[in-house]
Amino acid sequence: MKSYAQTPPGTQIVIGRAARRRRALERTICSVFEGWSYEEIIPPIFDYYDVFVKGMGTGPEEQIYRFIDREGNILALRPEFTSLVAKTVATRLASSQKPIRLYYSGEVLRFEKPKGGRQREFAQIGIEHYGASGKTADVEILLVAVETLQRLGIQAFQINLGSVDFFGGIVDRMELPADRIAELKEVLNVKDRSGLEALLERLPLGDRRKKILRAVPHLTGGKAVIAEARELVRNPRSVEALDHLEEIYSIFQSLDLAQHLTIDLGEIRGFDYYSGILFRAYVRDLGFEVASGGRYDGLPGAFGEDLPAVGFSFSVDRLEQIVTPEISEIEAASIAVDDGFDKALQLRRSGKAVRLCL
Amino acid sequence: MLVIALCKGRFLEPSLDLLMQAGIRFPEDVASSRKLIFNSDDQRFRAVLVKPADVATYVEYGAADAGIAGRDVVLESRADVLQPLDLKFGYCKIAVAGVDGTGEGKSGEKDSKPTIRVATKYPHITMDYYNARGIPVEIIPLSGSIELAPLIGLADRIVDLVETGRTLKDNGLEIVEVITDSSARLLINRAGYQTKRDEVLRLIQALEKVIR
Repeated sequence: MKSYAQTPPGTQIVIGRAARRRRALERTICSVFEGWSYEEIIPPIFDYYDVFVKGMGTGPEEQIYRFIDREGNILALRPEFTSLVAKTVATRLASSQKPIRLYYSGEVLRFEKPKGGRQREFAQIGIEHYGASGKTADVEILLVAVETLQRLGIQAFQINLGSVDFFGGIVDRMELPADRIAELKEVLNVKDRSGLEALLERLPLGDRRKKILRAVPHLTGGKAVIAEARELVRNPRSVEALDHLEEIYSIFQSLDLAQHLTIDLGEIRGFDYYSGILFRAYVRDLGFEVASGGRYDGLPGAFGEDLPAVGFSFSVDRLEQIVTPEISEIEAASIAVDDGFDKALQLRRSGKAVRLCL
Repeated sequence: MLVIALCKGRFLEPSLDLLMQAGIRFPEDVASSRKLIFNSDDQRFRAVLVKPADVATYVEYGAADAGIAGRDVVLESRADVLQPLDLKFGYCKIAVAGVDGTGEGKSGEKDSKPTIRVATKYPHITMDYYNARGIPVEIIPLSGSIELAPLIGLADRIVDLVETGRTLKDNGLEIVEVITDSSARLLINRAGYQTKRDEVLRLIQALEKVIR
């Protein structure tokens, strides 16, 4: 006989205390978001496929669950929320007063190897801030991330902050073909020094540029890293990125939060849509990041309305591995059916929980 | 305490030697004991012994903060880990080999078979290699004695580890192309690199001093 104990790979069923803990965790996070004036947006579970391709860029599209409706449209189960939110802001909310602050909470689906406590269907919860460029909005969302982690009782966390413009400014100048840049990103991404050396031998670059590339994977740490990076680059795009990061770092210092912030200029991963700051939150003793985000000014433009945008999301499934929210036991009065249903209704009207004994 | 995943087998001795030279000493019976977990004499490190193919997985998941494994198995596992150091031992190549000319399967070859059959322990590396060259292949996953496959008609080509090339030669096979060089790598978990930075950087620096 067929067994129904298993669900398809990458899916799971959450019940009982585990379900209550998850909801408690989500409520805590949402209360922080609401405390910073973010409003909930509830987007559909599926939308047209091209919405997500526009958002995520090429590469991750093979992770998208696709299907065709009866009219022949290609639809997709949402693999992330940002594209859906950006599309809504660029169309339905185009004439709304800016900035627009939105948060979402729900499941997304990606066809990928389940790992690190993350299944193919997993819960994301995050915020998006539209209509403000510059450091104020960047700092705001970083502070929301910090407060959320603190409110969850997590002390030992680090937010790694980088900028796509720092590395972008460096490679712009090198005029390398796209596949060479991809190779370069690949070795820098894993901080592979010997791989980088082998690649540099084949690239037509001067010594100064090679020196910059050798330094990139190690530009990680406190404010001193920014000073170190300034010695290396002169192009305006990278320099502006450094100015911007330095301002954010100074604000964190003045708020006595700099111990949670690490500048990481060697971090170059992420969806194609990122355009400015880029960050990931790590918690001690968990092997994967719990949150990631950044700025994606180009994304609303892809849906017809140019607007600066910044946001991040938490991975609920990963937070669950390190946070166990307190849940209170529900005390229900046991009612024998012989006492009559009216007894149960009475208790319910007075707000008490009941459990009918059959 | 940092956890370091080490390969059981031929990589174990050189890995322990290297760590010892970097001042990280484990009990002498690591290689002979049946235990899988050992603490360093100063209690600052813990070594866990796993199969070579699993080292990258332990590190990716953060079950180990660091690991030592060959680049070949790291590539094949597709694990997302940092690889800051080439530890300069365990040198070998991953190469395509075959009885000369069988199946062809070189880039730009019009007259080769419609699908080349390739036997290998490295299905991911093999697929990436042929994809990059636009050559359709059928991958036949094997777990040992790969050299046998082209000799008895199971496959046209093999993709395998080549150290000296003697095994290939003895079986009448030739290298068609080297895909990549491999040697032992230090692996670091991405999150640990951030949250345990001082300990991790100290380990990297200590090992770097030794291999220089």
